[in-house]
Amino acid sequence: MTKGKGIKRIFSLAGIALLGCVFAMSLVFLPGHAAARDIKIGLVDCYSGGATTFTYDVRDAFQMAMDKVNAKGGILGKKVVVATRDTKFKVDIGINVTKELVMREGVDILVGTINSSVALAVGEIVKKEKIPFFCTFSKSDKITGAKGHRYVFGITENTAMIGKAAAVGLAGKPYVKYWIAGDDYEYGHALGEGVWKNLKKLKPEVKLIGQSWWKVGEPELTPYLTAIMAAKPDAVIFATGGASMVNIMKASKSTGFSDKFPMFIHTATELSTLMPLGQEAPEGVLGTSNYHFYYPDTPENKAFVKEFRAAYKRYPKVGALYGYLTAQYIIRGFEKAGKINTEKLIDALEGFTVDSPVGPVKMRACDHQAELPMFMGVTKKSPDYPFLIAAAIETIPGAETLPTCEEIKKLRSKKQ
Amino acid sequence: MDTASTYGLSELAMQLLVGLSRSMILFIISAGLSLILGVLRVPNVAHGSLYMIGAFAAFTVNTVIGGSLGFWLSLILAPLFVALVSFAAERALFCHLYEREHLMLLLFTFALMLILGDMVKLFWGVEYKSVTAPDILKGSVIILGQPFPTYNLFLLVIGPVVGFGLWLFVNKTRVGKISKAAAVDRMMVGALGINVSWVFCTAFVIGCFLAGLGGALVAPTMGLTLGMDHAIIMEAFLIVVIGGLGNIWGALVGSLIFGVTHSLGVMLLPQFAIIFPYVAVVIVLIFWPRGLLKSVW
Repeated sequence: MTKGKGIKRIFSLAGIALLGCVFAMSLVFLPGHAAARDIKIGLVDCYSGGATTFTYDVRDAFQMAMDKVNAKGGILGKKVVVATRDTKFKVDIGINVTKELVMREGVDILVGTINSSVALAVGEIVKKEKIPFFCTFSKSDKITGAKGHRYVFGITENTAMIGKAAAVGLAGKPYVKYWIAGDDYEYGHALGEGVWKNLKKLKPEVKLIGQSWWKVGEPELTPYLTAIMAAKPDAVIFATGGASMVNIMKASKSTGFSDKFPMFIHTATELSTLMPLGQEAPEGVLGTSNYHFYYPDTPENKAFVKEFRAAYKRYPKVGALYGYLTAQYIIRGFEKAGKINTEKLIDALEGFTVDSPVGPVKMRACDHQAELPMFMGVTKKSPDYPFLIAAAIETIPGAETLPTCEEIKKLRSKKQ
Repeated sequence: MDTASTYGLSELAMQLLVGLSRSMILFIISAGLSLILGVLRVPNVAHGSLYMIGAFAAFTVNTVIGGSLGFWLSLILAPLFVALVSFAAERALFCHLYEREHLMLLLFTFALMLILGDMVKLFWGVEYKSVTAPDILKGSVIILGQPFPTYNLFLLVIGPVVGFGLWLFVNKTRVGKISKAAAVDRMMVGALGINVSWVFCTAFVIGCFLAGLGGALVAPTMGLTLGMDHAIIMEAFLIVVIGGLGNIWGALVGSLIFGVTHSLGVMLLPQFAIIFPYVAVVIVLIFWPRGLLKSVW
């Protein structure tokens, strides 16, 4: 009999121990239970194909900032864990991986992406799930404009801001007859319209004599340029980006287009465009960008460049600024909130200013759009680098290019 | 808004020339695709990836050797490298699959495209690459009072040269003649005691060589990026379809239609230029559903 009792006792003890284990595990692994958990951040972005030139910089600079804070014991004592997912530049895959990060991984914060359509879709998801989403590279002004809400933050400049900045720069020039050409998709058209609307406002006598749109990634731009040359505009606005940037710079040089016509291209002065071209890039092309590793020439920027180069053996491009700035908002935001709570983080970030390589950047309260400054310059050969750099840089403060809070309010009330 | 009426004849002629030079690149790439389609009956979706590898290999040759010599060597070495890759792929993988149905082959080449695309990312990284044309091909020359890129002029010369070389191969060499016969009836060729497997291999490698050559030739005109494989493969297949499957001269006709309608469309209706070549494809397929020239399928 005693033997049987002993076995029973062993079983019941084991049962209790098992229950205890399950309970302990549920504390650790159940999503939403923040007791002993790390801060989990999901990076949703396109990590395949041509966009990787930009997105790897965001990811690496973000990771660099988080590694640094983890080495010091984490944010408020909590370690940061980063999970990345590839959207392959597709909306359906973007939605799937975002949902997977939210449901299975139980991420606290989402960061990404370079495709505006994906960013808008993620924006819809986080609205329901109540998870903060930092949009790093998508430039559609709908993200923090008409479709913006409490859980979305815009880091990069958007098409509304680019349009205004470019218009300010172009209005001071003597050109009247313009031609607009660019990528035939959301970003290209939004950019073209943004520049034109603002330019027309600042200088009513400008005339649009024609436009041409090519498919995204069009390899051969020569026929477009020769056709524009035949129409003889005073200046040309190129609403293009990504891979087409290198193509347009090459074609404009080999056709002699860049010698004959003043050109404005939003990202013409960016490193991703100028570095691969070496000495082959045309000089005197007007361009805008949020970041140059050589400008502003401040100790903060130099320290950032040094740290990034030490970690990844390359110059940081504009994406690195976006990734780093996002990390700063998360780290400083939690610190300001005083506890790891994402609702408190959102409250803390509204109107909050953090330091960055380009100086202090404020997160505007009314639309959650970071007030990043824009640097307008012209391409120029440099004795210091084997590629062209931006020269005669003018800084356009972010606050000047943003739509007003009233405009945002109007845009948001219009929908539905 | 301005319309075509303001353009002079010389500007139209210039636009035509630009279109023709693009046609030459398209011809070189799609002739390779067509050769493989005709002889092996393989719709090689990975053809675009081999074109991309050709371009990136040309970049490497240009960086390592540099200068004008680097460029001229890259036109030979890069396609040879692509030929080597395709030879390995053919002997190791393709040659076991010829008896399978088209769908299997299509899936297989699709898989190969994804694998090769990622290999390029692993080897060459994610940054945009650019190749510099040698000094004599830089800048532009004045034709009909308009500046015309010298490099495009070079393409207008090299296109016919490659076309002639291909004609010599198909019509004057033994293996070319056999592959022509194999395209029509491979059982018969095998029955005559000819090693069909090696004939297929030769045709495949030459087709891929052309893809690599196309890649090396476009390298100086554009930024090299991941994803350039997807951009070209659609166009190449359309060209092959409107020209007649497996007919190399059909590829030439298709390329000319594609390149010229595109470039003239850009001038006449710039806002809708994208659709011009596709409209041409639709028209051709309505009236000649099997392609303009005789299809070997």
